[in-house]
Amino acid sequence: MATTTESRSDSTDSDDGVLARWTQGVIGDDEKRARLYRALFYVASAFFLVTTLFPFYWLLVLAITPNSSILTGDWSLPVVGIEFPHPQGFNPEAFVDVFQQVPLHLHVFNSFVLATATTIIVLLIASLAGYVFGRLEFPGKGPLMLAVLMISYFPPAAFLIPLFDAFLGNAVVIPFLGIELFQPPRLVNTPGSMILPFSALFMPLAIFILTTFYSQIPDGLEDAARVEGTTRLGALFRVIMPLSAPGVATAAVLTFISVYNEYFFSSIMALENVPENWSPLVGAILSYQDQYTTDFNLMAAASIVGVIPILILVIVAQERIVSGLTAGGLKE
Amino acid sequence: MSTEQKSDTASRESRRSGPLVAITRWLENLGETAFAYLLLVPVFIILGSIALYPLLRTFELSMYVNVLGTGDPEFVGFQNYVDMFTGERDPDFPGSTTFLPEVTTSSSFPFVHVEGWFRSALIVTLLFTVVSVFFETVIGFGQALILDREFRGRRLVRVAIIIPWAIPLVIQGMIFYLMFHPSTGFLTEYLANAGILAPTNTLNDPLSALIIVTIADIWKTTAFMALLILAGLQSVDRSLYDVAKVAGASRWQQFRLITLPLVLPAVGVAVLFRTIDAMRIYGLVDITSSCTVVPSLSCMVVETFNTNRGLASAIAFVTAGIIGALAMIVIYRQFKEGF
Repeated sequence: MATTTESRSDSTDSDDGVLARWTQGVIGDDEKRARLYRALFYVASAFFLVTTLFPFYWLLVLAITPNSSILTGDWSLPVVGIEFPHPQGFNPEAFVDVFQQVPLHLHVFNSFVLATATTIIVLLIASLAGYVFGRLEFPGKGPLMLAVLMISYFPPAAFLIPLFDAFLGNAVVIPFLGIELFQPPRLVNTPGSMILPFSALFMPLAIFILTTFYSQIPDGLEDAARVEGTTRLGALFRVIMPLSAPGVATAAVLTFISVYNEYFFSSIMALENVPENWSPLVGAILSYQDQYTTDFNLMAAASIVGVIPILILVIVAQERIVSGLTAGGLKE
Repeated sequence: MSTEQKSDTASRESRRSGPLVAITRWLENLGETAFAYLLLVPVFIILGSIALYPLLRTFELSMYVNVLGTGDPEFVGFQNYVDMFTGERDPDFPGSTTFLPEVTTSSSFPFVHVEGWFRSALIVTLLFTVVSVFFETVIGFGQALILDREFRGRRLVRVAIIIPWAIPLVIQGMIFYLMFHPSTGFLTEYLANAGILAPTNTLNDPLSALIIVTIADIWKTTAFMALLILAGLQSVDRSLYDVAKVAGASRWQQFRLITLPLVLPAVGVAVLFRTIDAMRIYGLVDITSSCTVVPSLSCMVVETFNTNRGLASAIAFVTAGIIGALAMIVIYRQFKEGF
């Protein structure tokens, strides 16, 4: 593999004759051509691997390099002299400091609580909808599904202003009629102000994944359960949901990741970036950026800590993620 | 055994009476349509109160002038929209004194200027969307072709390609902030020497910051494109390739005549999805650079909604309208395919 690439680059900078001969060889000789394709393939794979993983290497380098060395901004390699980021010194204390300056662990804990609560709510409600859309026939089914789909496309910014008003405790008013409906409780700085928008934002994807999976369970199984005397809802929760476990897991994993990664409402609904206000991971990272403006090693260390749970989840659940994303994206 | 037990309890339940049993019996006797609508009630309560109500209310608010500290909101009809598109209200726009601070003095960035802030936001958003989606599609196609093949270490490559997709937005932004921050970033110098980025104050320079945000987005979302295109690739009937091979088609011909036409619909869907998503850009800008440097549409809403509610609502509603129009295309496609 390496030889093919080398010979290719060699031939380009020597004379045209070699290149022409080589090209002729590639066109004429099947085996040479196969080798070229394989070489290209490995080069491309390696390229993608390096570009996707390099930023993580960069974070690690920054985190363990003492901040004073980072600030000199000199990344030249000792012998070769070219600039390439590499650890300068070894300062693992950054990973201890990072929990002391800002209570990072509490922020991550908040993220976990918010993500878990949202996932449970979304799974319960989306299961009902998935059952309805996947297994029942009724007038208005198509338009209702389209309405759900449509809502999932709107930007969060379009919902922000009235939601923020309502979460501050201002009265909810029927649009254009001016009739006050009710006075909601003040939800900002509480989990509710984030869980509610998250549920709405990530509900549609879960509904579509569950619809797909629930519709694939044979009718006979549901009928059998019904003959045994189970209620319709009982059949959903005791037969259909367990049989669609992979689908439920997919929806759960994707919802959890989406909430953990959400930025818009996470950064706005907690009015200050402190864990007491239920500010999630976003708040911790923003605190480092805003208050510890030159502690670049801590910013990097905080990012690494914040990314680890997601990294584990991706590695464990990669099959589910892949099937979920493709099912959600290409609804057949 | 368990079924026996279940049917046993079920029959006992049916003999019992009480509110729960009454509800269960009522549920069981509902017609299919009524039952379906009943189960959909929670979904539509959530989506109605968190999405539909705010959308309508935003539209209502956009018809009022409601500037912080100037008394009661005043109904002005579509004046906010008119002002927005003509650039009329710009001098009173409360954000305009704090917004785009440095750009006023620099004429070298034709797409961001205080005169016509809405136009700036629109151009920034569209530019970001077009460029990032284009590169994501091309690179994503390449990644999908790789993932489509069987090879040793395929799982590893796949995880590596998916990981950026799963990275929290705030950390993605932080990575690129650190990568291009003048005091830490080793890349800034190279790219500045090449004339691509501004040499100083890189993250506060509109064009440089937009380029960096675009690169960050491509890094993260290409994986998503790759997965969608991969699904399309894997639905291609493999026997077509065998036929082509027998007929003596080269790999390039196989790609051009079989793969490409069959995958194009999947690519189209993926591109629409990504376009809709890219139009919402906010968080990445907020953390990597600043909303005052790269004013996307969502940025404008967030930055101004506490000071000028009417105008912020108008921007929010226009943003929703643009995205809604794109979403209609997706929905129309889905409808045609018999949903």
